[in-house]
Amino acid sequence: MTPGARTGLEIGGAIIVAAVAAVYLPQLLELFALINATVWVSMAVLALSLGLVWGFGGILCFGQTAFFGLGGYTYAVASINFGDTTWAVPLALLLPTLLAAALGYLMFYGRISDVYMGVITLTTTLILFKFANSTAGDQWNIGEAPLGGFNGIPSTPPLNFPFAPDQQMVPEQIFVVAVICLAACYAIAKMVLRTRFGRVCVAIKENELRAELLGYDVRLHKLALFALSGLMAGLAGILFANCVFVSPTMFSLSYAGQVIIWVLVGGIGTLVGPVIGCVLVQWLTTYAGTLSWIDPNLLLGVVFMAAVLLVPKGLLPTASGLLAKLTGRGAA
Amino acid sequence: MTTLLSTEGLTMRFGGVTAVDGVTLSIDAGELRCLIGPNGAGKSTFFKCLTGQYKPSAGRIFWRGQDVTGRDSFALARLGIGIKTQVPSLFDGLTPMESVGLALRRLHGEAESRRRARRALDRLGIGALGERRIGLLAHGQRQLVELAMVVAPEPDLIILDEPTAGMSAEETNRAADLIRELNREHAIVVVEHDMHFIRAIARKVTVFHQGKVLMEDAAGRVFADPRVRDVYLGKAVA
Repeated sequence: MTPGARTGLEIGGAIIVAAVAAVYLPQLLELFALINATVWVSMAVLALSLGLVWGFGGILCFGQTAFFGLGGYTYAVASINFGDTTWAVPLALLLPTLLAAALGYLMFYGRISDVYMGVITLTTTLILFKFANSTAGDQWNIGEAPLGGFNGIPSTPPLNFPFAPDQQMVPEQIFVVAVICLAACYAIAKMVLRTRFGRVCVAIKENELRAELLGYDVRLHKLALFALSGLMAGLAGILFANCVFVSPTMFSLSYAGQVIIWVLVGGIGTLVGPVIGCVLVQWLTTYAGTLSWIDPNLLLGVVFMAAVLLVPKGLLPTASGLLAKLTGRGAA
Repeated sequence: MTTLLSTEGLTMRFGGVTAVDGVTLSIDAGELRCLIGPNGAGKSTFFKCLTGQYKPSAGRIFWRGQDVTGRDSFALARLGIGIKTQVPSLFDGLTPMESVGLALRRLHGEAESRRRARRALDRLGIGALGERRIGLLAHGQRQLVELAMVVAPEPDLIILDEPTAGMSAEETNRAADLIRELNREHAIVVVEHDMHFIRAIARKVTVFHQGKVLMEDAAGRVFADPRVRDVYLGKAVA
């Protein structure tokens, strides 16, 4: 099978899974569970955005939540002021992309090394967390939208159909939109990685110096991939704002750390792995919350340590490796 | 003869240490030039200045008469300079076909890149390894894969930093044959300190010592010069 055909098959598979989920889950799940599922899907988009930039660009962004939170806040503020989400969505995609581009420009063109990149991105999200927390009071209103400090913006309007502010979507429709967005992000990431640009990004991750010596502008490629991941994280923020209200928690250290865990558990260097890792860990978190005999955070910590020690490559690459061995393709 | 690459008073300082001190030289089209010198002579620093990995403290670098001082490595590569580093610099997770294909994709379409990549690997005698993962290859094979990536885009000038480092005697002999063959189509600069290898390939040699050019002449005369012997044996040079 040619790589192009394989990519087509993988995208086709994702579309089928997304279509089945979009059709059947709204019928099967109760409202609370469906909203919860929408949160997981929005988080999966966030995990995918980090999986792309970390797994295929070698850029450890510890502050992916900066773009996630900015997407959510921009969407909330713009939709409240416009009274319509039609233009709020592109604006909420644009600002995180611009922030990622600006931050990426400073880091990549400033030749910042990998470790410091993690520190800078984490610091960025923590600065935004602090700032968002300090925006209580009328002086922090943007137009009609109060930033709300610690409480955030509880009155975030749900998505409406384009140019029809009176026709707001119900949770079932928002779930379908979220699933479509996840499938679209996966397909876009897959297709981007098939292009020359994507292959150069992977090559840069493998060996930055060699890619540069072959005549590729390493900094520009990293910047473009980083901006794309910022856009996806912003989209995740918009979806999240549609099922959970916007608050400084979106920028928090706990969220920033969780995304890293999802990608590590699912598998770096894959696109489906982070999505699986996200859903599994989210499910485990929810399940652990129902148990009275164990602290959920303790359980999560143990699971994370076990994952790192037992399946250091992540669940998906480990499972793929086992499958390849069983079918005899792993011999080489 | 057209001058491809030249330097004027190229100097590289690290704090109080002057690793390259006012080096002026020029490389003509079709030339095979060897830059030699003992460890610490400044060869590798000079190589890194030429290839954009270091920005020189002073002096100028010219490519076909155009000032290219301070340009990034990727910009120099785009001018038509192929660069091979001392330690093989490769994409371990990719195959040789993918890697050489990537070297060509900047210049050609997908199908043409694959065709040329196949030809480059065959030319270097590693066509059979095309679909193996580079991380699994032996050191000598990795050197050849890197050379294939450098050669495939058909650069005007190839700069090789210690191309035989870590190679067996047999592999070194093959590398010497290969460099002579490549020199039929490309100008080549070899930075090296293995004198046996230099003797096998050299026509014109530039000798570095303490960051400066000690002498530059035909290979035979350089090897016969007592100053060069003294440099390699550690005696003082007047």
